[in-house]
Amino acid sequence: MNVLEIHELTRKFGDFVAVDNMNLKVREGEIFGFLGPNGAGKSTTINMISSLLRITKGEILLLGKNITKHSRFAKMNIGIVPQDLAIYEEMTAYENIYFFAGLYGLRGNELKERTAEALEFVGLSDRAKELPKNFSGGMKRRLNIACAIAHKPKLIIMDEPTVGIDPQSRNYILNSVRKLNEMGSTIIYTSHYMEEVEEICSRIAIVDHGKLIAEGTKEQLKSSITDTKDIWISYKSEQPLDTERIRQIPGVTQVLDDEQEQLLRVWSKAEINNLNLILQQLIQNQVEIRSVDEKAATLETVFLTLTGRNLRD
Amino acid sequence: MNILRIARKELLIQFRNKQTFTFMIAFPIVLILILGTALSSAFSSNISVSDLKLLYKENVQNQQLEASWQDFSQILQKEGVQLTKWEEGTDGQQAVMDGQYTAYAELNDDGIHYYGSSQQTIENNIIQGMLSVYADRYNLASAALKANPASVQTIMASVDSFGSFIKETSLNKEKQPGAIDYYAIAMSTMIALYASMSSSSLIQSERNRKTSIRLSASPATKGQIFAGKVIGATLINFVCVLVVVLFSALAFRADWGTHYVAVGLVLLTEVALAVSFGLLCGYLFKDGSGRAFLVIVIQVVSFLGGAYFPTDDATGIFKNIVLISPLRWANHALNDIIYSDRAAAALPVIGLNVALVALFLIISGLFMRRREAI
Ligand SMILES: Nc1ncnc2c1ncn2[C@@H]1O[C@H](COP(=O)(O)OP(=O)(O)OP(=O)(O)O)[C@@H](O)[C@H]1O
Ligand SMILES: [Mg+2]
Repeated sequence: MNVLEIHELTRKFGDFVAVDNMNLKVREGEIFGFLGPNGAGKSTTINMISSLLRITKGEILLLGKNITKHSRFAKMNIGIVPQDLAIYEEMTAYENIYFFAGLYGLRGNELKERTAEALEFVGLSDRAKELPKNFSGGMKRRLNIACAIAHKPKLIIMDEPTVGIDPQSRNYILNSVRKLNEMGSTIIYTSHYMEEVEEICSRIAIVDHGKLIAEGTKEQLKSSITDTKDIWISYKSEQPLDTERIRQIPGVTQVLDDEQEQLLRVWSKAEINNLNLILQQLIQNQVEIRSVDEKAATLETVFLTLTGRNLRD
Repeated sequence: MNILRIARKELLIQFRNKQTFTFMIAFPIVLILILGTALSSAFSSNISVSDLKLLYKENVQNQQLEASWQDFSQILQKEGVQLTKWEEGTDGQQAVMDGQYTAYAELNDDGIHYYGSSQQTIENNIIQGMLSVYADRYNLASAALKANPASVQTIMASVDSFGSFIKETSLNKEKQPGAIDYYAIAMSTMIALYASMSSSSLIQSERNRKTSIRLSASPATKGQIFAGKVIGATLINFVCVLVVVLFSALAFRADWGTHYVAVGLVLLTEVALAVSFGLLCGYLFKDGSGRAFLVIVIQVVSFLGGAYFPTDDATGIFKNIVLISPLRWANHALNDIIYSDRAAAALPVIGLNVALVALFLIISGLFMRRREAI
């Protein structure tokens, strides 16, 4: 069954089309990755699903029901983890969750139990009575998640829940996402970190300029770009590289230079043999080459190939 | 139910905000104390009114005039004036100058001659006020006596009605506010207006915190969120005002009268007025400029309403401008309730406040409905 169906969804801001005729299906039990460069329209789509923005055209069905017509039903079954922290600093962790869960019609003992469960789930039980202003970034992020799940929504939407936190907290959150999924929630997960998405998402949609440009499992997506090779060149150079020259070499689709790591990544059409030309170009510029490696396609390759942009630009 | 939850949350957050409390409670209390003590001499009723002593010399031939004076002097005595009949050898004017009497009056068929004390101005004013009502008629009657003696009867017949007449012209009201009393009222009503400041960011604060996302995504309707926040803001600010009122009553012995419900309702509706106006400004002005606008509005309204010094005696254009201050409506109503014992004085100002609250809320509601999220 589809938890979420999006049909010909369009959203305009004045004349600007932020989401353009999008079609999407999210199945029950999935962790669905939603990828796209900055300004692709991810948040706009998510905000329409969670009734924060009006729909210009098209429709969204949650569990088969139109969310505009069945607004209360839709809202009851969705939990949203906003991109930015959305908590009250003056209220304790417990009070925050208790308040938001209360808006979903929970009462009395049930409300207390659910609040305690959510705290337990994100590992904040022992900090329940503390104000979030004493929390670390990771703890705040966890509270941000707890506030969205106490009412046990069928669909949980997470808009970049791991932004700006330490690796330990990130792992904690990724595990929580998996656990929530195992406990029966379907999850839509947006992130700028490819590795995360590769790690936890069962299916992925890539959007750019408001349009859906690819959709499928990561294997499907990767196999769709077997015509691209991903070359990693480790080098040593005092001066910055002239990547423009390399970009002009026939077959090259994308060049990324990590000056700090002294690592050059070149994406190129697989059928054109241009490695010689690339290396020649570098040597001509007095660049010392340390190693050359051709990598298997990653999600990042897919993304770059399809959008022509790096996710983290 | 959601309305109550949101209102409760609003209370919780504001209660923990120390700024709210210093500003809404400590600040007005300090002001009451400073203004109330520094300016106490400006409030003359703080000087106790000493005995009213009238020395009179009666030299009236006409019987009707004589009888009417007898009636009137009884009324004077009832009002607390000590009457002393002039005796041979006393210099009435000198006795007043020496401070033995408040005033000296000479009555004869030609009319009344009055000499008031220049030292006991207040007391003098009181007696003069009482006497002037009588004297007008007495002088009229004595003039009539010469032309047509029969008409004296009709002129003086209504002497009984002096009783009620005198009450109105007398300065000797039951109670008068002292400086502390005055500023206790003025600061409480002024601080009620400051509720508009925090209310101007009532919705914006949720957006800044991004909690507006959660609220909008929750099943709580926009109307519930709106109502909950307005109720919460009104209650918390009302509590602050009540604390100031109670503190001024208990610690400074400020007089708040006995009509607690009427006083409470005037203050409550005034807070609601401020909250709804602030809310509206939040919608009308972008990025916090509403706050700056409100600071100015509140200062002007407070000044006109007599928060810093009484503006009741305003004259000219100022007199009319003063009337537009909601602070003045409230202060006037409270004065009437407390010092004239008229609980009904609360009704017009409550009605006016409620009407404005409704108006501001409706306009704000229209703004809110146009927005996608809250
Ligand atoms: N309220 C708005 N008014 C006008 N334009 C908007 C509004 N909200 C978003 N946009 C535009 O719509 C486009 C999509 O924005 P959106 O926030 O959905 O992108 P995103 O994919 O979430 O990007 P990011 O990765 O930066 O979060 C952007 O170009 C943005 O400028
Ligand atoms: Mg976004």
